[in-house]
Amino acid sequence: MIDVQDLTKQYAGRTAVDRLTFQVEPGQIVGFLGPNGAGKSTTMRILSGYMPPTSGRATVNGHDVFHESIEVRRSIGYMPEMAPLYTEMRVKEYLRFRGELKGLSGRALRHRVGEVMELCTVTDVRRRLIGHLSKGFRQRVALADALLHKPPLLILDEPTNGLDPVQIRQVRELLRSLKPAHTILLSTHILQEVEAVCDRVLMIHHGRILANDTPEKLTRQLRAASVVQIEMQAKGNDVLTKLEALPNVRKATEESEEDGWRMITLRVEAKQDVREPLMDLALKQNWKLRELHRQLPTLEDVFVELASSDRAK
Amino acid sequence: MRLLWVLFKKELRAFFVSPVAYVVLALVMVLSGYSFRAALSILERGPSEGSIVQWMFQPNWFWLSYFFVFPLLTMRLFAEEKKMGTFETLFTTPVHTWQVVLSKYLAAVVVYSVLWLPSYLNFHFVDWITAGQIEIPPGSLQGSYLILLAMGLFNLSIGCFASALTSNQIIAAVISFTASLLHFLGGLFIMVLGRKVSETFVDIISYFASMEHIRTFTSGLIDTRPIVYYTSLALLFLALTHQVLEFRRWKP
Repeated sequence: MIDVQDLTKQYAGRTAVDRLTFQVEPGQIVGFLGPNGAGKSTTMRILSGYMPPTSGRATVNGHDVFHESIEVRRSIGYMPEMAPLYTEMRVKEYLRFRGELKGLSGRALRHRVGEVMELCTVTDVRRRLIGHLSKGFRQRVALADALLHKPPLLILDEPTNGLDPVQIRQVRELLRSLKPAHTILLSTHILQEVEAVCDRVLMIHHGRILANDTPEKLTRQLRAASVVQIEMQAKGNDVLTKLEALPNVRKATEESEEDGWRMITLRVEAKQDVREPLMDLALKQNWKLRELHRQLPTLEDVFVELASSDRAK
Repeated sequence: MRLLWVLFKKELRAFFVSPVAYVVLALVMVLSGYSFRAALSILERGPSEGSIVQWMFQPNWFWLSYFFVFPLLTMRLFAEEKKMGTFETLFTTPVHTWQVVLSKYLAAVVVYSVLWLPSYLNFHFVDWITAGQIEIPPGSLQGSYLILLAMGLFNLSIGCFASALTSNQIIAAVISFTASLLHFLGGLFIMVLGRKVSETFVDIISYFASMEHIRTFTSGLIDTRPIVYYTSLALLFLALTHQVLEFRRWKP
């Protein structure tokens, strides 16, 4: 559906997108993950035909983004950051206008407008001026607009920006329901979003791709250490030393103590599981254990590690 | 073509939903109403060498106030979309830039035409009231409104161009007002300086001088040369507007 080769975008003195290469298969939901200023919005603007790349190629649904801009725009539903809308129009009339722009008309248009308003739960405000809507509603109107002509590809720039948790969940469910008829490329800097919704993750930083994989594989490959937390009761001052003596334990630190129960954090070598030898040690030493919990690295850890190693290069 | 109509409908609606169109309409009605009354009072004083049409449209102060209309109508057209970021949602639909430019321009032209309707009705009303006694030279009404339309086409296109140059509506208004006024006053001053400057220079400038065109048309003479002049300049500035938008978007 999307094929990007060596895409570059330079502004005066700054490279926003640096030789990006990736593909998006039809029917997938792919997440662009990166901090602000990483090049996510710029890439999306290039893909939706709004601005040209400095060099490189991109094709959407078989059409080149620069040479066949009109065809590309026909296959795309784009939702920009900050949902810029015409504030003097009402919701329903705005959606009607947008539908006409995208080639719908007559009864099909009216029906479809009603449908997307239901999908994005903006039916109740359909007669309200967009200028009088809260950010969350405007965001959903923009999303409804993107869905109008049932485009094969949706490009959504921070679709849950400004929504409350209930709305966020609704939008995520909506996005999941759009598979496989639609392909979705969304950008975000919220990691749970990616974990919850996306099939693949494209981590981007300083205009370059740091990682391109499924969320599970990425977290599994993490080179960072994992962390085990125990809450225990033990007599003696050598608990920490004994813990550190366990194989694969890098460091044991006591975080806090309450009523005799000590909270200890162990940093463990990557991909090693010390929970069993830990239990054996605890039984042998007659320690009382109240909690034993392994914290798996999250996507955030992956990202921070990749981003910092990238900076070190 | 269909898209042009869709965009045009929306732009026209946007004009009449905002207070701007009504404020401008009120301004123009005050202006033309006052001019009309002044013209009538000149005729009341005794027989004169001009018709009511000429007396309405020839005083200079009428034209100097006239130029406020253009910035007010056009300043928001492109500058607002640029500032609010709505070009991004617009240009990610399958529309061509020329459709956007033309739809906004045509909506402004339609609104401008509506502005002059009341004054046109004034003449017919006075004609009816005086049972035809008032002298309206043949062709002078049509001529006057034709030159108004032609000048409107030209100045609205300048306004569109100014609006496309910036995201600040005030700056767009100032640029548009200055350019329109400079064009008008330039022609006026050269004609006034007539004695001091060479004959040929004055002859050349008379082709561009709006006041000359106005004098011709309001006396009932329809000269196609100014019509061509204004419409071709309008096309030029529309093309320039289109280029400005395209250039901004397609900068590599």
